[in-house]
Amino acid sequence: MMIETHQRSNYTEAKLLIKEANLDVAEQFKSEIQHLVDRGHTHIIVNFENVAYVDSSFLGALVSVLKYCMSKKGDIAVAGLNKDISNLFNLIRMNKVFKVFNSLPDAFA
Amino acid sequence: MSSSQKKILLVDDDRLTLQLFCRALSDQGFHCFPASSAQEALIILKSELPDIILSDYHMPIFDGFMFRRRILNDKRLKNIPFVFLTSFTNTELMQRGLEMEAVDYIDKETPVNVVVSKLNNILHTIRKQHEKSIYEIRVAAEALNLRSVPAQPPQVSEYYINFLYQSFENYPGGDFIDFIEIEDKYTFVILGDVMGKKWGAWFFSFNFLSYIRSAVRLCVFDGDFSTASILQKINKVILMDPVLGDVLSTLSLLMLEHTTGKVHYSGAGDLPIIWYKAKDQSCEQLSSDGLLLGVRQDGGYDERIIKLESGDQLIMVSDGMIDFEEEGSKKTDYELFFEKMRNKLGQHTSFTQIKNETFSTEKSKELIDDCSLIFIEKN
Repeated sequence: MMIETHQRSNYTEAKLLIKEANLDVAEQFKSEIQHLVDRGHTHIIVNFENVAYVDSSFLGALVSVLKYCMSKKGDIAVAGLNKDISNLFNLIRMNKVFKVFNSLPDAFA
Repeated sequence: MSSSQKKILLVDDDRLTLQLFCRALSDQGFHCFPASSAQEALIILKSELPDIILSDYHMPIFDGFMFRRRILNDKRLKNIPFVFLTSFTNTELMQRGLEMEAVDYIDKETPVNVVVSKLNNILHTIRKQHEKSIYEIRVAAEALNLRSVPAQPPQVSEYYINFLYQSFENYPGGDFIDFIEIEDKYTFVILGDVMGKKWGAWFFSFNFLSYIRSAVRLCVFDGDFSTASILQKINKVILMDPVLGDVLSTLSLLMLEHTTGKVHYSGAGDLPIIWYKAKDQSCEQLSSDGLLLGVRQDGGYDERIIKLESGDQLIMVSDGMIDFEEEGSKKTDYELFFEKMRNKLGQHTSFTQIKNETFSTEKSKELIDDCSLIFIEKN
């Protein structure tokens, strides 16, 4: 498992346990999140606080699971982005695709 | 740790053996991750992906075979070369290990320097086989005339256009470049990056390019010269394509008007374009508004029109250009890239300087993704 899940108020936190979110882990991330969605966890916040670097393969996987989750009437947000990753999100407009939280919110709907 | 340093995971419940091998392998340039049990090794493997694993057979509770089985059941880990280390020269055990797709086994009594050579040989053989496979695919792709980057830049009398492309460790990647000239009046400049790496991304880049080429031609036939409208159409088609529905791509699309110097620019999740203005000797970042291709029906594509004067320069890049590796850790930093370019722009030799600085053989070794750069100067 590369994510650790915690049930929060009205959403599931999926905390990434990796330092580098890249091609090597993108497929596994996709299947773990899809599995969560299939089990009814349709509102997920992916927590990046352990992650130092994200590559485009991983971002592709992130958007792909968002699309899957939205097809099940759910949503995925992100939290805990470091400065570089946050800048990248803004630069390529991922901040318009995902809700971005500085830290885990009390509720997410 | 540099990116070329090989990572090895060592698993042994005998701490002395672990220390001995770790020291010898570190002396030989390996980066070692020692684990005194299979459970500890699995924790390390959550965040690290070693180049090779060397594991003892006999460990209490969770032995080497159970550990190997866990690795084989994990898609992310199963292709890491696995070598058993043992103090038992039991043929049956050896056979069992080799049947579990272990690359080799090494007797603990083997002198450490011989073990190091053996591991180096295994990694060398694997690398050679890998290079051979890549070479064969490359030959096949060339025979089919599949190119995601043109052989030459276009020749347009009003502009100097050139580009740089560097594959990552000799893999083609998701970057694609194209130039479409329309009746000597307009040149469309295309730079995209299919999200992903290596062959997967490379394969899809052709599908994206085909749609983009068709959309540009069809829109022009209909008298629609709006880059935003072209992007919107490409996005719609991609969203409808069942194969590409799950694949995403950035795109920067420019239309250069030859006679007026006007440049129309629309982008999809792309990085800002750098505009050097000769008149003020200053650099500006031009950002677009649109989302990545394939994300949503309404991509929100806007169109900027800028007027280039003689001596003005533009630089478009893919995200590989803004990835940097410092002291073993990777980071993405557009501002750092912008500062580097700012010093190079506004000169007659700007393109050559950028080429020498960013695409030198030495720099290429530091790349962590494929990289593309398109340079345009108004004559």
